[in-house]
Amino acid sequence: MKASAVSALVRLNLRRDRRGALSSLFGIAVGVSSLVFFVALGLGISRVVREKVFPVDTRLVEVVPPQVALGGLLGGTLDQAAVDRLAALPGVDRAHRKMNVRVPAVCRYRGDFFGQQLNMGLEVIAVGVDPSLVQADVQLGKFEDPGAGQPIPAVAATRLIEIYNKTFAPARGLPQLSPAMLVGFSFPVELNRSFVTASAVGPSTPGTMQLVGVSERGLLAGVTIPLEAARRINKDHGADAATFTGVTLETSDPAQVPRVVAAVKEMGFRVDDAERRLSENAGAAVAITTLAMALLSALICLLAALNIAHALSASVRARSRELGVMRAVGASRADVARLVRAEALVLGASGGALGAALAVAAAFAVDLAVARFVPDFPFKPDAFFRVPLWLPLAGVALGALAAVVGAVGPSRRAARLEPARVLAG
Amino acid sequence: MIEASGLSKTFEDGEGKSLAVLSGASLRVARGELVAVMGRSGSGKSTLLHILGGLDTDYAGQVTVAGQRLDGASDEALARFRNTTVGFVFQSFHLVSGLTAAENVALPELFGAHAADAPRRALEALERVGLAAKAQRNPAQLSGGERQRVAIARALFLKPPVLLCDEPTGNLDGATGAEIIELFQRLNREGLTILAVTHEDRVSAAAQRVLRLDQGQLV
Ligand SMILES: Nc1ncnc2c1ncn2[C@@H]1O[C@H](COP(=O)(O)OP(=O)(O)OP(=O)(O)O)[C@@H](O)[C@H]1O
Ligand SMILES: [Mg+2]
Repeated sequence: MKASAVSALVRLNLRRDRRGALSSLFGIAVGVSSLVFFVALGLGISRVVREKVFPVDTRLVEVVPPQVALGGLLGGTLDQAAVDRLAALPGVDRAHRKMNVRVPAVCRYRGDFFGQQLNMGLEVIAVGVDPSLVQADVQLGKFEDPGAGQPIPAVAATRLIEIYNKTFAPARGLPQLSPAMLVGFSFPVELNRSFVTASAVGPSTPGTMQLVGVSERGLLAGVTIPLEAARRINKDHGADAATFTGVTLETSDPAQVPRVVAAVKEMGFRVDDAERRLSENAGAAVAITTLAMALLSALICLLAALNIAHALSASVRARSRELGVMRAVGASRADVARLVRAEALVLGASGGALGAALAVAAAFAVDLAVARFVPDFPFKPDAFFRVPLWLPLAGVALGALAAVVGAVGPSRRAARLEPARVLAG
Repeated sequence: MIEASGLSKTFEDGEGKSLAVLSGASLRVARGELVAVMGRSGSGKSTLLHILGGLDTDYAGQVTVAGQRLDGASDEALARFRNTTVGFVFQSFHLVSGLTAAENVALPELFGAHAADAPRRALEALERVGLAAKAQRNPAQLSGGERQRVAIARALFLKPPVLLCDEPTGNLDGATGAEIIELFQRLNREGLTILAVTHEDRVSAAAQRVLRLDQGQLV
């Protein structure tokens, strides 16, 4: 039987029973649209978690010294020798060292702050890192120790600015800041001084820091400065300048991570995976919610398939004479079954297309409404939904599949029909 | 043209009793004949016709039509046979609603491997039965006699050598029935082999030969 013939007869049937066709199509559309909608939401939210809330680079392994220093017993100090051994581990491309500034520091700011008069005192937490770690995000000058008395280049964390803009600044009437505005901004620091402890010994040293970039690899609650600058400050103030606070190992690909982690533990160090865990947990929560919604929608599709099965059964019964006539003029049993299946396929695919279109339109509308009417909050994304091209296509395919599954019974019944029984008389 | 021997068919009724409708019936129809099969209601006329037309496969015996062996043939082969070798005409016309007269006539085209220009050939077929003027009407807009003409045009659309008719005038009044019978005679003169089962004398009167179906046998 030719495809054109199948299509002509399917069109005839849909034309004659518009109501039945619409009801079958609508059932499929409801199932597919809810599925596409929730999957798009899940994809969108998990992207926000991955890229904005917990931007974990899955290739990185954070190595920290053991919690209880067992002295040199297990080689547990993170000195240069240890770093060299870590860098030599198979699968590790590079090792980025980190050293905290081990003396307290404060910033006393008095004056113009982006158009506003500001009088503020803040504890400053600083970590020194190998320039290679943040070099890609530096926009101003060289990220290296400029030497005593010179402004120290500093990098701020992307997430810190997000939190400042959405929570800290609005409550205090402070201006909104963009990375572009911040680059070049200088602020005074006093090293070896603290508002909260009396432990600082010796005289404090005045200095300046200048923001040169914004990075996702920056320290969340503080500033990130060149490693050599941190080392120099520690040395100048009599603090430990030989061991590192941590080492970030960059692997060639995420698959190497488990192996590298095992080797690091073997060497007596710990791996700080708190961030990664948080990210994974949040990701898992989103995935489970999405899965639950998807299952619910799949259930709706199943109901739609049953609905189609029911409708087609009735239609086959009502058309038994006509199907008998088709057999008499040359249709085989397989032809008759094919007709029923083709009808279901058309209903399912168009229901799926309608559903996918509705879902995409709804997702778009929700995103637009949220952007317009919901006030800003930290990590508020531009879009809650993500609709990759495959998603609506999968929706259409699912609609077609549900309908074809629903057509299995009715098409068999149509094929079993005995024309001799329905044509006489 | 039609050769059948030893045809037997039994139906199971609801209570498990079996009813022998055909028991060893045989018949032979030569090319170009117009043959009537008569019998009272329930004697198995329709059953016989369905077997000869390849619509029924559940029987015993041998059937050959236009050189094609039907008993034991595959469903696909029987479908092709019904498409090209025989045309059916039924008492209740069995036109497809929603299709025009011309589209109804061209219906066999959908199940065959035939070329284009179906609309033109459908019109030709309607011309043969004198109904070209009403080609675009729906079945509901046609009289009983006109519907039966459309059904005949459909049966002849792919130019089969054999026409099988089941009470073709059963639903028509005297004058209209007579017209249909005349049409059959004309088609028969043009070379068509026709087997009509009926219990109407006016049909058998037009036939060249009349067979009787009685007690499951043809005499
Ligand atoms: N599907 C069936 N199941 C059981 N019995 C059947 C079935 N089809 C036909 N019969 C029986 O077989 C017998 C022959 O039926 P058939 O339709 O061939 O008779 P007929 O000669 O064409 O009758 P009529 O002149 O009324 O059309 C009847 O007694 C009928 O009741
Ligand atoms: Mg009958």
